[in-house]
Amino acid sequence: MADSTGKFWKSILLRHETILLIVLVLEWLYFNSVGPRFGSLGNTFDIVRHSVEIGLLALVMTPVILTGGIDLSVGSLLGLCAILFGKFWRDAGMPLPVAGVCTLGIGALAGGLNAALITRLRLPPLIVTLGTYSLFRGLAEAITSGVDTFTNFPASFLFLGQDRWLGIPAQAPIFIIVAVAVWLLVHGTTFGRSFRAIGFAPEGARYAGIPVNRRIALAYVLAGAVAALAAIIYTARLGQAKADAGTGYELFAITAVVLGGTSIFGGIGSVHGTLLGVAAIAVLNNGLVHARQPREVAGMLTGGLLLLALSSSAVPRLFSRLRSRKPAKATQTVSPTPAS
Amino acid sequence: MPPLLQLANVTKSFGAVRALKGVSFDLQGGEIHALLGENGAGKSTLIKVVTGAHQPDGGTITVAGQLVPHLSPASAHKLGIACIYQQPALFPDLTVAENIGLRLEPATATRTVNWPGRRDRAAKLLKRIGADIDPDTEVRNLSMPEQQLVEIACALGAEARIVIMDEPTASLTQKEQHLLFAVVRGLRDNGVGVIYISHRLEEIFALADRVTVLRDGESVGTSKTDDMTETSLIRLMVGREVSQIYPPAAGAPGEVALSLKNVSCGASGIKNVTLEVRAGEVVGLAGLVGAGRTELARVLFGLTPADAGEIALQGRAVVIASPAEAIAKGMAYVPEDRRRHGIILEMPIAANVTMAIQRRIFPGAWLRPKAERQLTLEYIRDLAVKTYGPEAPGGSLSGGNQQKVSLARWLATKPKVLILDEPTQGVDVGAKSEIHKLIRRLAREGMAVLMISSDLPEILGMSDRIAVMRGGTITAMLPGKSDAHEVMSAALGQAEKGVAAC
Amino acid sequence: MLKRHFREWSVAFALVLLLAILAVAAPAFYQGQPLLSLMAREAPTLVVACGMALVIIGRQIDISVGSQFAICSVCAGLLAAMKWPLALALPAAIAVGAVMGTVNGALVAGLRLPSIVVTLATMVTWREGLRWLRQGEFVNLPDNAQWFGFGQAAGQWTLIFAAVVLFILMVMGMRHLSAGRFVHAVGSDAEAARLAGIRPQFVTFATFVLIGALTGLAAGMNVVQSPQVDPKSGTGLELKTIAAVVVGGVAISGGRGSLWGVFAGLLLLACVSPALTHLHVQAYWEKAIQGAIILLAVVADGLRSKTIKHN
Repeated sequence: MADSTGKFWKSILLRHETILLIVLVLEWLYFNSVGPRFGSLGNTFDIVRHSVEIGLLALVMTPVILTGGIDLSVGSLLGLCAILFGKFWRDAGMPLPVAGVCTLGIGALAGGLNAALITRLRLPPLIVTLGTYSLFRGLAEAITSGVDTFTNFPASFLFLGQDRWLGIPAQAPIFIIVAVAVWLLVHGTTFGRSFRAIGFAPEGARYAGIPVNRRIALAYVLAGAVAALAAIIYTARLGQAKADAGTGYELFAITAVVLGGTSIFGGIGSVHGTLLGVAAIAVLNNGLVHARQPREVAGMLTGGLLLLALSSSAVPRLFSRLRSRKPAKATQTVSPTPAS
Repeated sequence: MPPLLQLANVTKSFGAVRALKGVSFDLQGGEIHALLGENGAGKSTLIKVVTGAHQPDGGTITVAGQLVPHLSPASAHKLGIACIYQQPALFPDLTVAENIGLRLEPATATRTVNWPGRRDRAAKLLKRIGADIDPDTEVRNLSMPEQQLVEIACALGAEARIVIMDEPTASLTQKEQHLLFAVVRGLRDNGVGVIYISHRLEEIFALADRVTVLRDGESVGTSKTDDMTETSLIRLMVGREVSQIYPPAAGAPGEVALSLKNVSCGASGIKNVTLEVRAGEVVGLAGLVGAGRTELARVLFGLTPADAGEIALQGRAVVIASPAEAIAKGMAYVPEDRRRHGIILEMPIAANVTMAIQRRIFPGAWLRPKAERQLTLEYIRDLAVKTYGPEAPGGSLSGGNQQKVSLARWLATKPKVLILDEPTQGVDVGAKSEIHKLIRRLAREGMAVLMISSDLPEILGMSDRIAVMRGGTITAMLPGKSDAHEVMSAALGQAEKGVAAC
Repeated sequence: MLKRHFREWSVAFALVLLLAILAVAAPAFYQGQPLLSLMAREAPTLVVACGMALVIIGRQIDISVGSQFAICSVCAGLLAAMKWPLALALPAAIAVGAVMGTVNGALVAGLRLPSIVVTLATMVTWREGLRWLRQGEFVNLPDNAQWFGFGQAAGQWTLIFAAVVLFILMVMGMRHLSAGRFVHAVGSDAEAARLAGIRPQFVTFATFVLIGALTGLAAGMNVVQSPQVDPKSGTGLELKTIAAVVVGGVAISGGRGSLWGVFAGLLLLACVSPALTHLHVQAYWEKAIQGAIILLAVVADGLRSKTIKHN
């Protein structure tokens, strides 16, 4: 019994998330000791405000990567949705809530386009979303002719991105709701389990009767819809919508997800890991400023952390693969060849 | 003169499964030596040891009198060992000429490629074996037999001293077969040693000089082909005493649970299958590798839906277009390749067990860990799965226990029709008899069981009736108390000897 | 022949069609100087796209080329500013690129990490490292460095000539050198390659070193085109080259594709923007149209493989 509890604690301690949490705490302690203003409530809220959009993208990138896919188009979609949101409001004369709902619909539709191409035509997600990455950004630029920006939003809307509600940044409750929802989806429902099963073994999932295509579609549609939500919050925070909104965000989001322990091969990963990944990057970025270090160091450290995280999670997997490969081969030769 | 190739006491295990238990074998130059045995007798493993793909755990390999301590694919190639696998290992994106070139030319990166030379050689080699293939086509556009011919051309071009052919005729037409035989005889006359693996006895008698029979990872005898008859060979192959005691058969079967009328599926080569399975009955599905048994199961389970014929469950005609539909209609399929299809190795036992009943056990899609744990524990107890708990990943289990988890997943769906594909392959003896008892019990409780197996004693011991498949269709229905010889003869197509299967 | 290179031919056809439309509707497109400038601008991209094609044919991907490009550009610029002759600065840039390629190659082939994440990480690290060291400062080149000290037109011709020669060398290498065929073999089936005596991990490693070196060369070819070196140059280069490679018919799953297709794909994508200007369509549609071309190309592939399967 003592042995098994020892194992239990070892498995908790050696978890990716735990290590990341320790890194995060160390980061916090260090920056708090060098930058006097770092630990203040105001600064904490600043960190939250600046990481909500990327955090949202990272949250919904998690199920996508769990299925063994990837979505490069979320950053571009954020830009497109920001523009369309402004367009709906200013040019189509919609009230802001209606414009918001329409934007969310567009986001879901765009995710649906990715999903349709990936599941119906069995195209690799990397290429499909690379294409839509260009397409969505290009549409945003085309709609605004590259220069048009949408500003002068009413203060009641800007509140969402710039003000406090019950003492916390107004976008924080939205983020928390989405985070809880995605966490429940991935960790509390059969959907999340299906994502993992598909990521581990798409054929195995099919043999177990899981509707593989529908589950994959769900992940991409969700990613699209939440990218649209991120676009609205982004617009509220900056007070303007421009075609280049969210440029490069897809890479930040993927970095956060992989840093959070999700395997790029699919199957392994958690939403809380992703949240820790987002937090680690956000704190690093903000803290280095307080430590009077150039902001670029944060980027370099993020890249280094990512490589480290990657090696630590990929190496055991590699071993287990090598181990499982040999006997699998022995049975493979017995599998029948269909006669023509 | 020392033999061209000599194996002494070669052993090889995969985890708990002992694939080769001390096999000795020798091959002379200028000889065609047939290797015969049931599926899983260890032929493929033996071949892989000779080609360097697997390292043996024990025993020695001698090539032309020279002891070879370590055989890798590259050194095997250098020693003049060439192998034509059942499933050709060609580059699908490259042309035929290039595939042959890559195989035959030294793997130095700085050489320039002589394209006309490659093409000429490819054309010549293909002509020598009488294959009508354009050297410039990409391999992905070739049919399976054409790819096999390319493999043979490679071996021919390598001027190998030892050529291994693993069921080379499994998918050839009669004309291609005759050409192949001529090629093989030509090789022999040039002093090459040929190891020839085939299930077709008539081929072995037509071609081989000597024959070695493998059974359960052991060699049970080598003799001159002329000294053997088909009957004596079949006896050697299946001759094992039925060592396990099979559970007794059930009483009278009930209503027809599953009935197929002229079911066909073009994509998987299933033709006009007609079959009935009654509730409480175990129907064994026998046949050789490639006879279409797994393909038939995939058709029934909606993985490759049928495109003609009628499938009825409990007397009602149904269309099954996906596994989800099959499950909803009361069907379950325990697949053959459990590591890839049967369970998900990285996921816990509990998740594996409930994977096909997610809708029922998790209303509203919310996971209920307690209920899941409870159910899984029940199955762990019921099927005696050896594990530390429901949270253990499937990959941590031994083969037999993995199979039990795979079974548990499907029993949890409470199916009316259960299709088992090689339920005891790679499973140790203890778990095997447990699984057999379980199958019997399920039948007694009123399930209709269709059991695919390549293990003849299992088929004979477990089945109430035996359907034998060959060439994508059912060629014989035998009573459960048939003898091994009868089943083997039907599977080998002996009754219709001389009729070539294409 | 037509059937085997169906994709290459259809891209080439699309390109010819676009050029024909331009010839009729906007002959101004064919004016010498702007066209020459366009070609000179795309010459470095072609060099990187060749490397990218190799990497993708070998079933990997490299998204760090944009950052490598920036670092090599700045290195070449700094050396030139220190009065190094171009004949030395250029090889130095190539060497720097090769070193960065070695890092990627070691991580991907040595540790067998997925190339997409490895190069994502190195992309961020290189780019931020450069910003940290240089703080976004431009490098001013000495006068004799621009256009190799030739006139503009002569310099542009030199660049185009160099890119074309390199391209043809690469085509020949991929076709007639067994090393080139190894890349196809490894991308097509790494296990079969191993059985044929090829070392797949080494081939993968080599393609990453090569794309690094080619990126270094491309950076050098870019530096000489302007009086200053922008430390942000190369942003988006990875997606541009991957797009050209994919449109040109290289399968992302490895093994298949030819450099000729990549050449046509790159030209097609490069011509979109000037074509828009000449056809009086707003230039802002460029990216959207490029995205549509990528999607169209892969959708056509998907549909084709689907119908082939059904037959």
